[in-house]
Amino acid sequence: MEYLLSLLPAMLAGTTITLKLFFLTLIMSLPLGVVGAIARMSRFKPLNLLMQLYVWLFRGTPLLLQLLFMYYGLLIAGIRLERFTAAVLAFVLNYSAYYTEIYRGGIQSIDRGQYEAAHVLGLNRFQTMTRIILPQMFKVVLPPTSNEVINLIKDTALIYAIGVSELLRVAKTAAVRDFSGTPFLVAAVFYLIMTGLIQQFFKWLEKKYDYYG
Amino acid sequence: MYILQALDIYKSFKDVRVLRGISLQVKKGEVVAIIGPSGSGKSTFLRCLNNLEKVDGGTIEIQGEFMVENGPGNTPSYRSEKELARIKRKMGMVFQNFNLFPHKSVRENLMLAPVLVQKLRPVEAEKSALALLDKVGLADKVDNYPFQLSGGQQQRVAIARALAMEPDIMCFDEPTSALDPELTGEVLQVMKDLASEHMTMIVVTHEIGFAREVADRVLFMDEGVIVEQGSAEEVLLKPEHERTRAFLSKVLMAR
Repeated sequence: MEYLLSLLPAMLAGTTITLKLFFLTLIMSLPLGVVGAIARMSRFKPLNLLMQLYVWLFRGTPLLLQLLFMYYGLLIAGIRLERFTAAVLAFVLNYSAYYTEIYRGGIQSIDRGQYEAAHVLGLNRFQTMTRIILPQMFKVVLPPTSNEVINLIKDTALIYAIGVSELLRVAKTAAVRDFSGTPFLVAAVFYLIMTGLIQQFFKWLEKKYDYYG
Repeated sequence: MYILQALDIYKSFKDVRVLRGISLQVKKGEVVAIIGPSGSGKSTFLRCLNNLEKVDGGTIEIQGEFMVENGPGNTPSYRSEKELARIKRKMGMVFQNFNLFPHKSVRENLMLAPVLVQKLRPVEAEKSALALLDKVGLADKVDNYPFQLSGGQQQRVAIARALAMEPDIMCFDEPTSALDPELTGEVLQVMKDLASEHMTMIVVTHEIGFAREVADRVLFMDEGVIVEQGSAEEVLLKPEHERTRAFLSKVLMAR
């Protein structure tokens, strides 16, 4: 018990880093995904193709590779990013690509009749998007979004690879130092608490959006 | 003076020529019913009038203002999007599938466009929304969501929503085709009420009974052209063309 308590300060510090990366990534990639989805569906070909390329690149390569590139790759090229900044950059670019695709699917699932009704009522494109299409899209994309958000919590452990002291790295350090498996178990509990909370949050959100059929 | 004039409208989808020179002139207060087999182009024509489809050729004029005009070389030139939005505001449209906004309550469905487009104060928009709902007999459904209503009720809300924009012309694209037979009556009744208030109406429909009772003029369309038109009695009871007769006998047999 005493040993467990002695682990906590470092573990909590690691969790803070983990959560910082988690929230920074979400705050940026969720809205960027909306912008990305709209750009991805643009009738302006070059933009459309550019977005396809972007999505392909960031979904088609391992996040770990992107992370290593953002830190070590750029470092070798002479661009020195803070470790944590490199991590945020890689995560935002990667997750925005996923959200772009999720939202695109969500927007495309909305019936054409909704656009037509908005059009005959005189709504312009912006009003149609913000008042009619996107609010309905959010309901559609909640389940896949919640999956990605849970993945994100677990993916934060990857920044271990560029030497940032997040939760898993702290656990490993302690495990090696004390020759004990306990820190890993503690870390697992921490992750479970975080993903559990996220699940509850999305359950609540889905219920909230259940007000219409 | 015509409230709406469409002259020589052409429209193709890929290689299919859907409209092949359709012309229609509508007077204020007139009720025009367009009948015809599926694929005859009647819905497409109505959608062209509402700028949901762009014509390949022809002229559309609403209350003396051109939406689209035939330019040199028979290429249609449309007004700017902004102008189109303004001109089209005089047109109301009711769809076969209602197309209510599912995430908004009945009240919000009716208030949205008046507040966003006409810049009405919400209190005023709400007042007229309630009055319109009363008119279509759904005052008690104001706080419901579309999924809680029957098809007939949804369509009546859709009609009220279109009326909330105070259109001069109401277009109906097969408004009862998606409804169970026992629910068509309530929708047709609302439309009859509108007609009796001298609303100008263009109705694409399969309801021959409704056309006979309400329409001042009936158009029979087939294969992208108007085969014949005239008073309801002329077209529905004494059709001149074989194609009209064949269509009517098929439709009337089915009931």
